[in-house]
Amino acid sequence: MQNSFTFLHIKKAVFFITLIFSLVLLPALSPDNYGQILQDIDNLQNFGDNDFTTIYTIVSEKPGEEREVLEVRLFRRDVGDLFLMIIISPEVQKGQGFLQLEDNLWFYDPESRKFEHSSAKENIQNSDAKNNDLMVQTMADDYDVVSHEEGVLGNVPVYILKLEAKNDEVPYPEMKLWVRQTPTLPMKSDEYGYSGRLMRSSAYLNYVKVGEKYLPTRILMVDMLNVGEKTQITMTNPSIGALPDYVFTKAYLEKVNK
Amino acid sequence: MKLVKLALRNLLRQKRRSILLGSAIAFGILFITLINSFTGSFIENVGENFSHLMAGHIFIDGVEKSPSGKDLYLIRDDKLIMEAIESSGIEYEFLTKRSEIRGTILFEGNGINQSIIGADWEKESYFKDRIILEDGSFDNLSDPRGIIVSSKIADRLNVQLGDHVIVKMQTYTGQQTAGDFTIAAVSIDTGLFGSISCYANIEYVNELLNIDSDKYLTLGIYLPDLIDTDMATNLLLPELQDRMSLFSRETNEDENPFMAILEQQETEEWIGVKYRLTTINDVLSEVEEIVRILNIAGLIIMLVLFAIIMVGITNTFRMVMFERIQEIGTMRAVGMHRSEVRALFLFEAFFLALGGIIAGYILSGITMFIISQVYWGVDTPLFMLLKNGYMTFKLAPLQVLLNFVIVTILTLLAAFRPADKAAKLEPGLALSTEK
Repeated sequence: MQNSFTFLHIKKAVFFITLIFSLVLLPALSPDNYGQILQDIDNLQNFGDNDFTTIYTIVSEKPGEEREVLEVRLFRRDVGDLFLMIIISPEVQKGQGFLQLEDNLWFYDPESRKFEHSSAKENIQNSDAKNNDLMVQTMADDYDVVSHEEGVLGNVPVYILKLEAKNDEVPYPEMKLWVRQTPTLPMKSDEYGYSGRLMRSSAYLNYVKVGEKYLPTRILMVDMLNVGEKTQITMTNPSIGALPDYVFTKAYLEKVNK
Repeated sequence: MKLVKLALRNLLRQKRRSILLGSAIAFGILFITLINSFTGSFIENVGENFSHLMAGHIFIDGVEKSPSGKDLYLIRDDKLIMEAIESSGIEYEFLTKRSEIRGTILFEGNGINQSIIGADWEKESYFKDRIILEDGSFDNLSDPRGIIVSSKIADRLNVQLGDHVIVKMQTYTGQQTAGDFTIAAVSIDTGLFGSISCYANIEYVNELLNIDSDKYLTLGIYLPDLIDTDMATNLLLPELQDRMSLFSRETNEDENPFMAILEQQETEEWIGVKYRLTTINDVLSEVEEIVRILNIAGLIIMLVLFAIIMVGITNTFRMVMFERIQEIGTMRAVGMHRSEVRALFLFEAFFLALGGIIAGYILSGITMFIISQVYWGVDTPLFMLLKNGYMTFKLAPLQVLLNFVIVTILTLLAAFRPADKAAKLEPGLALSTEK
């Protein structure tokens, strides 16, 4: 009697554990919740209240052209979607900058001393990198997961997600993303144009932990239309020290050029 | 009258010297007249060539703001614009509807940034005459993905007829995309404005831009004559203002309406579509500046040239005074006044200038006639400055008068000191001077 009681309890326990696992794990793996992976990616790279500063070196190579090296200093305050990027070299472009204020991205040219509207979709100078690549990631807001599978990239288990843009404020309307399972960080992305053609392939080669967040320190972007055209972005000197409010103003961008 | 006759006789006495001095003046006049005449037709020719390339004299665009504040150009519905054009009563030859891609044409590792104009070539058949093809034909544009590139681009990309090229570009809203084109024809490069020399079918261009086939980016109004542009703009502007939200063309003194509109686009916020009207003259105001600079440079060169000629004239007249010192003494001794001696010299200088100027203008006329008969072709970098391949000249009568006055005054000034010195000679001293 005691045995059958225990057996019933064990059966019930197994049933409940199975039920709980089903409730927790199955939805997590269902297509509807693959969107959570995008949210996780965003969360792992979003500094929230902390300000973030770094230097990016962007090296672009095009067939028949000289290699171009661009160095930018970047300031981010993700909680207010504030973003400032100032070109520090080459000398001829020094002082040009991009400033995100509310929904507007401004480009400042110290030569003309004028601010012009720019867009996150535009290339950073002559490279294959877009402004959007260096800004805070909002993949969950911008893309829907339309299909998914699990796979291996190298020897790393990954989720392979096909994404479709929810809006036209992103440079690529379609994307295929290879995401490391833990932590959920993008390892590779194939970016498709509106015509459905593969335009760019990006590899996230290294990550560094800055505070509690992860950021790619080296990204290789290969132009899939023009053989031999590629851009490499390298991040150095990341820091999460607090920045004065005036950094994210037009006045500051003008002042640093004086 | 006696002095005039004497002055003319004196000039004829030393024919060789007079011809040499007159030739120097004529050369100066020839130089400045050619510059003035060339710049006189410069604006007209550039304007006409520009209007052919841009397919219109007046242009209307619709501008919308993207959520991120970027300007997006699109005419979704042109019904109100067409109504305004009809109500304004302006006479036009053609209306052109065009879309434009700005992207990178890629072929086998070569890339070139280029604008590609999409047009309906069936409706815009008249513009086919303005694009001179070196290879291929407009019939090849029956391929919906056909593209006409300039010879310069074809050389740089190393493409030939039938080659397939990829164009890396952005959609109307700025998203990345790519198009496939086939080289349908190669046009003769127009030199100065080669960056707007690729043409394709509007339907495919719209497809790549992700806009419907009945929409487009710019409406061009092609008028019978460039000179009608301002009048037609003044008639059309209020009609458009009555029907739609329009950027103001009001400007500060030294501002161009086009720049003023761009300024408004940057600073203003609006919802929906706001239209802008620009004209060929907005673009030409920059060309006018070039003409102004050319004319000033021409005037400075003329002044330098005449400074040198003036030294020659002064020296010659001093020599003349020394040669005629006894003659001056005799004239003074028989009762000629000092002022008459001075006037005699100045009359000589005036006739010298007059002869030189007339000869200069005749030479200019002959030179301009000969140059204007030379066919420079349409594949020359000078193409934009020519009229159908020929150089044209236009000289304003006021400019002729101004040059005449300047050269005459300069010659008189050059001769004044020797003339004054001759006038002040004592008759006795002059008669006793040995040469």
